[in-house]
Amino acid sequence: MTDTKSPVFWKRIMMKRSAIGKENELLRATLENMNQGVAMYDADYRLVTWNERFVEYLDMPEEFLGTEKTFYDYIRYLGERGEFGKNADIEAELKKRVAVLDTSHSFERVRPDGTVLEVRRDPVPGGGFIAIYTDITARKHAERQLREDEERFRAIDAASPVGLVIADREDKTILHFNRSFCEIVGREPGDILGKSATALFDDPTKGAALAAILGGEPGERSEFRFDRLNNECCAMVSLAELEFHARKAVCASFVDITDRVRAEEELKKAKESAESASRVKSAFLANMSHELRTPLNAIIGYSEILVEDANDRGDSASISDLNKIQSAGKHLLGLINDILDLSKIEAGRMDVYLEQVFLSKLVDEVKTIVEPMMGKNNNRFVIECPAKIGSLRTDLTKLKQNLINLLSNAAKFTKDGEVKLALSRENGEDGIKRIRLTVSDTGIGMTGEQMSKLFQSFTQADSSTTRNFGGTGLGLTITRHFCTMLGGTIDVASKPGQGSTFTMVLPDRAAKPATQQPAELRLAHRADGAKSMKILVVDDDPAVHEVLSATLSREGYDLLHAYDGDEALKMMRQSQPDIVTLDVMMPKIDGWSVLGIMKSEPALQNIPVIMLTIVDDRNLGFSLGASEFMTKPIDRARLVGLIKQFTHVNGATVLVVDDDPDVRLIIRQAIEGVGLVAAEAVNGRAALDWLDKNPAPSLVLLDLMMPEIDGFEFLERMRKREDGHDVPVVVLTAKDLSEKERIFLAERTILVLSKSAQPIGSIGNALAAIAERGAARKTEQA
Amino acid sequence: MPKILIVEDNEMNRDMLSRRLARQGFEIAFALDGKQGVEKALSEMPDLILMDMSLPVMNGWEATEKVKSNPATNGIPVIALTAHAMAEDREKCIAAGCNDFDTKPVDLPRLLEKIKVLLAAKTG
Repeated sequence: MTDTKSPVFWKRIMMKRSAIGKENELLRATLENMNQGVAMYDADYRLVTWNERFVEYLDMPEEFLGTEKTFYDYIRYLGERGEFGKNADIEAELKKRVAVLDTSHSFERVRPDGTVLEVRRDPVPGGGFIAIYTDITARKHAERQLREDEERFRAIDAASPVGLVIADREDKTILHFNRSFCEIVGREPGDILGKSATALFDDPTKGAALAAILGGEPGERSEFRFDRLNNECCAMVSLAELEFHARKAVCASFVDITDRVRAEEELKKAKESAESASRVKSAFLANMSHELRTPLNAIIGYSEILVEDANDRGDSASISDLNKIQSAGKHLLGLINDILDLSKIEAGRMDVYLEQVFLSKLVDEVKTIVEPMMGKNNNRFVIECPAKIGSLRTDLTKLKQNLINLLSNAAKFTKDGEVKLALSRENGEDGIKRIRLTVSDTGIGMTGEQMSKLFQSFTQADSSTTRNFGGTGLGLTITRHFCTMLGGTIDVASKPGQGSTFTMVLPDRAAKPATQQPAELRLAHRADGAKSMKILVVDDDPAVHEVLSATLSREGYDLLHAYDGDEALKMMRQSQPDIVTLDVMMPKIDGWSVLGIMKSEPALQNIPVIMLTIVDDRNLGFSLGASEFMTKPIDRARLVGLIKQFTHVNGATVLVVDDDPDVRLIIRQAIEGVGLVAAEAVNGRAALDWLDKNPAPSLVLLDLMMPEIDGFEFLERMRKREDGHDVPVVVLTAKDLSEKERIFLAERTILVLSKSAQPIGSIGNALAAIAERGAARKTEQA
Repeated sequence: MPKILIVEDNEMNRDMLSRRLARQGFEIAFALDGKQGVEKALSEMPDLILMDMSLPVMNGWEATEKVKSNPATNGIPVIALTAHAMAEDREKCIAAGCNDFDTKPVDLPRLLEKIKVLLAAKTG
């Protein structure tokens, strides 16, 4: 195809135009259909041929089209019209144009309306020239846009405080970088471009680290540590993938975070040193506690001895003085205790031990302690506590200390009046159950200003109070702190001369504070998920509930309490506890019967049970940590029941280990009677031999008293074998067990635990072990 | 008369406690450290042990665990005495097998009450 812009083409057309008249129409049509303006001038520079687009582009008046007017007239006309600018020198513009008319040339012209024309003029042989006008406004606009974009990018790239690098994805050659990058890494531009990232630093490990970061996944953020002028610096690097000059490349942004990292490191150091100071302070306080109390111990103790001696002698004069020494000593002890408490609170080291606190019992204890104080000022002490107030989960020591503190304050500031302790339950609008404990008195009361200072350290209602009433001024501060730690509040209402009322409101279940230090003492094998374990304590003795609450609540177990067998069974059916601790001696239904009922109910039979027996009661001091126990003489029906319980498969083997042939016979008959296979062993050794030769039985029926290897030793050895670890064992035993045997069972089978002789802590360990076993069983089932 | 073993390294405390308990009619035996305490528990077979917790040679927690793990002596009630009045000390003592816990300086009436309860539980 012929290029329509080509001057040769036009020259050809013009020549043909004059020569061949009949092709005139065709040429005109061609001209008019062109996208460009076309004008041809003859040797006298008169316009002879043109198209409409030319007229349109240049807004050419009729008088110049095909008349005697020349190019000179036309340029002057355009100049006057302002086409070359307002103050253009028209003759100079004309001269410039005419001077080049005998050569091919082109230039761009911007018209006053902003359109841009590319003008191309070519001389024609024989004189004259042809001019072609192309509207290049759109192209020019796009070019300008591109240039501006580029300028903008360059400006951003140069001015950005973020260091930018584009590197080859494979060899990590740096293809582009900006000024900030040079500044961040402390290198000159000449040291960077075209180099591999690995060669960027004097220390090759830093370069390798950078290359590794650049090789990361897009979107990844990493910290890059490097040296800048011998200072350790740090940059946060983020990555993106891109194509750059047809190469697979990675774009990385670098933000200098050196200052932040340094600040963080300093903070960390400060925190560490503060923590270490706090530890030192705590150790110091613990020591001081001991050092201060030891001499006080002597002061208080010996003055008490002297009071007793003086009493014996009837030396009443000395008694009064000695009492002063003693009370001063006790006062000092109180001060030391308060200061220690407050220091611990302020150091955040006051631990909270949550346990189930039985309120009636607490009130009794508190009453015993504060009653003598009430007598001193001739005050009546009144307690309002509903009989069924129940218990709450909180820190016993702290709640007790709070009550004693409030009550002793009330006793101190009231004379010949009344001090009242009232307890009640309330259900909050937020659905949380709470206990309200109110201590009110008819004493001297306080003004609003005095009340405002009440809970601040070392302040009493006024300084004369200390002189008149004594005290550290720390008591209420500690009380308030304790309330907060237990998730509760304390408020005061008072008027001078009309007494004061302090109200503590504590949640029924206090939550462990988040800042709690882990307690030093933990159960040895605590199973995961023990936190959510529900334990039902069944005992008619409240003391047992208390002891177990103290040990287990702190470990995060949920305790349910039942006081007799009936209640226990009801609660088990209702709330399916994870473990039951069962007392043997109880009114109505005893523990063994409860166990029997449990084993007969499918919903209850798999709940692990810990029997709590009284060791001193020899007749009840039995039971075994195998899967079950049986007493002799053997109850056949029960034996069959047990066998069925543990062997689900027809034809399963039951190993009978007993030295008494009669017993073996009875049992064999029972076993074979239910379609199972019986194997016999005359003692523990024979039973172990049998285990060596045969696959593990489905059940072992085990006598304890046997020659050579007895039931205890057999149990121990079998449990160590891989195939004997999980075999259910029903122990056959006479009721009487020796002390030694009981200890064996207590230690190895954990099902017998005594209330009085075993360390209470071992109950927790036993529970944890059972929990673990239970968890393992659940996993197996799953 | 019931015999009480006092395990206490501080001479003054030992003196005070023994004099005051003797006045109440108790028979008194002494041990000066935890190891001796464990030995005396066996040789003297006291009715009750008052155990200081910060003891030389063997501390009170360890000594209590030893006493409680020996079948011959595990029926003897142990009251822990400690100058640390912190709640965690109480827990630690109970976990070691102590039957009760009291803080020093000793509040004699309170301590006597605890002794009375434990002795009654033992014989009853």
